[in-house]
Amino acid sequence: MSTRETRRSWNVPTWVRFLYVFGLLYLFLVGVKALESGIKSFGSDFTDTLFANVSNPVAGLFVGILATVLVQSSSVSTSTIVGLVGAGTLSIPFAVPMIMGANIGTTVTNTLASLGFLRRSTEFKRAFAGATMHDFFNILAVALFLPLELATKFLSKSAEWLAGLLGANTSIQFENPDSPIKSAVKAPVAWFESIVERFTDNENAMGIALLVLGLALIFLALAYITKNMRLVMAGRIERSMNAVLSRGGGVPAILIGLLMTVAVQSSSITTSVLVPMIAAGVLTLENGFPVTLGANIGTTVTALLASLAADRPEALVIALTHTLFNVSGLVVFYPIPAIRRIPLILAQKLASVAEVRKSAVLVYVVGGFIVVPLLGILILN
Amino acid sequence: MVMEFFRGGADRELEQIEKTIQQMLVDCRHTFDAAINALLGGTDPDLVEKDIRKTDRRVNKAEREVRRELVVHASVRGAQADIPMVLVSMSIVKDAERIGDYAKNIFDLARAGVDFSSSESGKKLLNDRDRISRLISETARIFGDRDAEAAHEILKSEDEHLEDYDNAVLAQIESSAAANVAVPMALLYRYFKRITAHSMNILTSLVMPLDRLDYYDEDKADRW
Repeated sequence: MSTRETRRSWNVPTWVRFLYVFGLLYLFLVGVKALESGIKSFGSDFTDTLFANVSNPVAGLFVGILATVLVQSSSVSTSTIVGLVGAGTLSIPFAVPMIMGANIGTTVTNTLASLGFLRRSTEFKRAFAGATMHDFFNILAVALFLPLELATKFLSKSAEWLAGLLGANTSIQFENPDSPIKSAVKAPVAWFESIVERFTDNENAMGIALLVLGLALIFLALAYITKNMRLVMAGRIERSMNAVLSRGGGVPAILIGLLMTVAVQSSSITTSVLVPMIAAGVLTLENGFPVTLGANIGTTVTALLASLAADRPEALVIALTHTLFNVSGLVVFYPIPAIRRIPLILAQKLASVAEVRKSAVLVYVVGGFIVVPLLGILILN
Repeated sequence: MVMEFFRGGADRELEQIEKTIQQMLVDCRHTFDAAINALLGGTDPDLVEKDIRKTDRRVNKAEREVRRELVVHASVRGAQADIPMVLVSMSIVKDAERIGDYAKNIFDLARAGVDFSSSESGKKLLNDRDRISRLISETARIFGDRDAEAAHEILKSEDEHLEDYDNAVLAQIESSAAANVAVPMALLYRYFKRITAHSMNILTSLVMPLDRLDYYDEDKADRW
């Protein structure tokens, strides 16, 4: 075969893939519903005990980091948090630090992607800086907004106000009436419950079965949505990235990062795609940064989608809090060049250390994303 | 820039890269024609210099663009990337750029005051000029059409000329002509050979496996 003969692959028509993705989205919402029902099945004693452990907001932050690192997806962890808030078992003040932790935890994926360049120092330095600028941005945003939120609740109150505008009123004490989406996702969960009931009438067993089903559906549906949408959107992503490369960053690059992430339902895909380009030197940190910030906002769409299946309006509030947190981060850290440079400088400094001492990479990844959160949870509880 | 995301159509990013390479070849032919006419046809170099430099910059910019787009393709597609096509494009974009460079070198001879418009070898040089100009143009067309059969034909016919150019260089080395004639003439034939060889390299991508790209003349089995 000559080198110019194109590779032939079995091409699924785009409309079939979109149909498939819609089916997966439905399964994702069923997963959120199942999770919510599962938690409710355990009763209030169980959940009170479970979440007493995260009553410390910093512990909640660490739980968010660790959970996201373990599932390698902030979409899964934030959807789970939304499901828990939707079930009424996790309150918004406890959920906010977890959501912020998920934002930090998700950055480990592109940091791991940068390790592929470990053997080539110059590329690795660029790749590592390109990956960790996302980490530093999120760490700085949490350092700024978590204390502010704890002191003023400005994020959650703004989100509550926005949710009210969208018709979700948290001051009403009964559950929201069923929307067509909620009705559609309740049916398969009820069907699953009836099957489990044939085998056992134990509420805890039902809760475990629903929890497992819910988490499995959320995880699998999101994984397959991302996989498919990446294939469907690859051409558009390529064109958009070429546009970023030829015309530089700025607000359009933020929008491209946002659109890419919404399309593939994964900020890790967007930020990991940037890493090899930054490593090769074709994309500068300055032009890649706004794409990362757009991805940070785009990833909040998953939690917003998850809130569609939740019973309580608080689910929408926590999803909107997630969006507002990331938008606030952008508003504070992007417009002023001197402030914008801070996460980039920190990332470059860390990359300079990592280039010389490769062990620093291990300390950073394992220490920062696993050991510190784990110790934090243990000590603070 | 954001609208790029909403632009429809199938995934034809690599086809776009191929079109850019094709356009580079069209530009290279333009540079070659302008340069060789300044050397053989009596065109005033001052009249064409600006155009040649501008076209050369366009070719160089296109080369960088192609490389960037190939990195983007590999980054975005990951395991789905067409790696052989990325590698071959990386190789042939360099060939296209080199053709432009040699055409510019021919112009540099004219710029240095060399004028072969009334040379004894005038007729042969004009024939070579026509053949090479046609070769670059045909290379662009065949590359765009993925016409393997035509590529084989061209490779077969041009292979013979490579030896002629080598002999012409040797003849200049052995000749008693003045240095200000023999040296530029030897250089010109060297440039002819390199332009021909780079065009042939591009065509080999249509008929050769990736690992034997550019080495079409080393294995009898690869020769028609």
